[in-house]
Amino acid sequence: MTKKIFWSIMIAAGTVLAASLIVIMGCLYSYFSDVQGKQLEDELSLAVAAVERNGKEYLEKVQPGQYRLTWVAGNGEVLYDTLSHGESMENHGDRLEIREALLNRAGKSSRYSTTLLERTLYYAQRLEDGSVLRISVSGATVWVLVLGMIQPILIVLFIALILSGVLAGRISQHIMEPLNRLDLEKPLENDTYEEIAPLLNRINKQHKQIAMQVSELQKKSDEFAQITQGMMEGLVLLNEKNIIISINPAALKLFHADDSCKGKDFLTIERSHAVSRAIHDAFLKGHNEIRLERVGKEYQIHINRIESNGSLIGAVILAFDITEAACAERIRREFTANVSHELKTPLQSIMGSAELIENGLVKPEDMPRFVGHIRTEAERLVTLIEDIIRLSRLDEGSEMPFENVDLYEVAAEAAAELEDTAAAANVKVTVAGEKVNVKGVRQLLAETLYNLCDNAIKYNKDGGTVEVIVSRQEDHGVVTVKDSGIGISPEYQARVFERFYRVDKSRSKESGGTGLGLSIVKHAVQYMNGKIDLRSTPGEGTEIQISI
Amino acid sequence: MRSYFDEQLATLNNELTQMGAMCEEAISVASKALTTGNVKLTDQVLSLDGEINHMERKIETLCLKLLLQQQPVARDLRQISAALKMITDMERIGTQAADIAEIITFLDGRTGEECEYIRFMAEVAIQMVTESIDAFVKQDMVSADAAINRDDDVDDLFLQVKESLIRMIAEKPTDGGYALDLLMIAKYFERIGDHAVNIAEWVVFSMTGVHKGEN
Repeated sequence: MTKKIFWSIMIAAGTVLAASLIVIMGCLYSYFSDVQGKQLEDELSLAVAAVERNGKEYLEKVQPGQYRLTWVAGNGEVLYDTLSHGESMENHGDRLEIREALLNRAGKSSRYSTTLLERTLYYAQRLEDGSVLRISVSGATVWVLVLGMIQPILIVLFIALILSGVLAGRISQHIMEPLNRLDLEKPLENDTYEEIAPLLNRINKQHKQIAMQVSELQKKSDEFAQITQGMMEGLVLLNEKNIIISINPAALKLFHADDSCKGKDFLTIERSHAVSRAIHDAFLKGHNEIRLERVGKEYQIHINRIESNGSLIGAVILAFDITEAACAERIRREFTANVSHELKTPLQSIMGSAELIENGLVKPEDMPRFVGHIRTEAERLVTLIEDIIRLSRLDEGSEMPFENVDLYEVAAEAAAELEDTAAAANVKVTVAGEKVNVKGVRQLLAETLYNLCDNAIKYNKDGGTVEVIVSRQEDHGVVTVKDSGIGISPEYQARVFERFYRVDKSRSKESGGTGLGLSIVKHAVQYMNGKIDLRSTPGEGTEIQISI
Repeated sequence: MRSYFDEQLATLNNELTQMGAMCEEAISVASKALTTGNVKLTDQVLSLDGEINHMERKIETLCLKLLLQQQPVARDLRQISAALKMITDMERIGTQAADIAEIITFLDGRTGEECEYIRFMAEVAIQMVTESIDAFVKQDMVSADAAINRDDDVDDLFLQVKESLIRMIAEKPTDGGYALDLLMIAKYFERIGDHAVNIAEWVVFSMTGVHKGEN
C-alpha cells in the first residue's frame, strides 16, 4: 500500500509537471514567434531604407546569414536574392506576402517553401518605386530558441522529480504509519482513520466469534479426550489416507506406541498383514472385525468406516480385550468335554461287562466280580452326578440354612470318616486345635473338609501325614489342611479349582476322584463368604487354608 | 509438484512397510510350521512368498518411475535407491521362508526338537527382521544397530546347530537325511539373518548417507 500511495503521488506530480511544461513551451513558442516577427519587421524596415538609398548595391553587400532578403519588382520578377541568383528564380508575383505588400504596402505569410523545404516566415514591404523587398527566416530558428531552453528545463524537471519522489515517500509512509501500528488483537483500542473503523469493528466481532468457537471446540475435544482416556478399550481414529488422527492410551499400550505416532501412517505402529488387510476391507465394506493376539492377551478389533455426505473420511478402530471372555469360553468348552468324558468312561466299562455277561462269556465263578465291577462303576457315576448336582446347586446359589457350627467337630468327623481310606494308603491323619464356632452351613463345611482331607490322603506318599489344624484368627475360623504329599507345581496351582481339572491326567482313574472335589470346595467356601488359600511346594506337600 | 512427489514417497514408504510385514509374517509362519509340525501352514508361506514377489515388482516400478519423473537428489535419492536395494533383500527373505516351508513338507511332521538351537535361530532371525523393518518404519538407528549386531548370534547358533547335527548323525545314522534337512533350514535362517542385516544397513544409509564399509 505504501508503494501504491507513493506511485500515485509520483504519477500525479509527473503529470502536473508534464502538463505545465507543455503549456510553458507553448507560451514560449508564441512569445519567441512574436519577438522574431518584430525583429523581422525592424530588419525589413532597415533594409527597405537602405535599398531605397543604395539600391542593389546594399543587397550585394549583405552577407547571407540568418535572414534572406529578396527584392521583387512590381511585376513579380525577382531582382535580387541574397541566397540564390535572382534571375534563375520564378516569378514571385503570386506569393501571398508580395501581393499583400503591393496592395497594402506591407504583407506577411508563413509556408513551406518549395525551394527550401521547411517552414519559412516571410515579411514584405513595398518600396517607393513600387518594387517589394521581402525578408524571410526559417521557422526552425524559433525551435532552436525553444530547444535552447531544454537543458535548464530538464534540470528543473529532474530536481522536481527527485523532490516529489522524496516527498511522496515521506507522505506515503506517514499515511501508512497508523495503519501499520494497528493492534489487530484489540481492534477497538486503536486510534486511527475513521474510514477503517467499520473494518475494525468487523474484526473485533470476528475475534469474539472465533474465540467462542475455539473454546467450544476445546470443550468438545476435552470431553472426547476425557472419554477416550478413561476407556479400557483401545480407540484409534484414522483419516481416509490411513493417517492416525487420534489414539487413546489403551490403544497406545496395545500397539506399543507413543504419542509421536499421531499424524503418521497407521502402518508405523501396526504393520501386520492381517490388520492392514482388515482395515483395507473395512474401507471397502464399511465394517470388519478380526482377532489379534498381543503379549499373551487376545483382542477383538472392530473397524468401522466413517462417512460424511456419502464420501469416505476415515475409519475408527476399537480394540476390546477379550482375554477373559476367551478364557471363560475355553473353560466352558473344556467343562462340557470333561463332563461327557467322565460320564462316558464308567458307562463304557459297565456296557463292556454287561455285554460279556449277556453273551455268556463269563464263567459263573467270575460272575460276582463282574457284577461288582458294574456296581462300583455305577456308584462312581452316581457320585459324579451328585457332585455335578451339588455344584450346580452352589452355582445357582439356592438358599441353605446358616447355623453355628463347630469347625473342630466337623474336622474330626471328616477325619474319622476317612480313617479306613487313610489306613489303606498308609497315611496318618491328625486333627489338632481348638473349638471354633462359626456361622456356616454344616453340610457344606462337612463336604469341604471331607474333600480336602480326602485329597490330602489321595495325593500323599506312602507313610505320609495329614495335619488338620483348627484355629481362630480375629473373627474368622481357620482350618488348615497340611499334607506331606506330592505337591502342586506353581503353573497348575491356579487351575486346580477348575471343574474336572487334574494336574496329572493319567492318575485320574487310579485315584478314583471325579475331578470336582476342589471345585466344590471353592464354591462352598465362596457361598459362606470365606476365603481359600493354597500354598504348595512340589515334592514337599500342599497346605490349603480356608477361613470362614 | 513437490507435494505430489511427497505423496509418492509416502506411498513408497507404506508399500515397503507392508512388504516388510509380509516378510515378518512369512518367516514367523514358517518357523511355526516347523515347531508345530503343521504342514498346512506351509501353504500360507508359499502364498505369502507370491505376494512378496508381486510387491517387489510394484515397488520397483514405483521407484523407477520416481527416479525418471522426479529426478530426485540428496536425501530423496538415497531413500529411493535404498528402497530398491531393500526390496531385493526382502524378496530373498520371502523366497527363503518359502524354501524352509518346502523342506518342512519333507520332514513328515517331525519338528526338529532334537536340535533346539534351530528354534533359537528362528527366533533370532524373526527378531532381526522385525528390528530391521522397525528401524525403517520408525527411522530408528538403535533398532538398525541392534539388528546388525545380532548377526553374530545367528552365526554362532548356526555353528552349534551344525555340531549338534553331526552328533545326531553319529548317534543315529538312519536319521542322516532328516539331519541334512534341518541343516538346510538352519542355513536358510542364517541367510535370512544376513538379509535382515543388509536391510538394516540400507536403512542406515538412507538416513545418514553412509553405507557400512564405505568410510
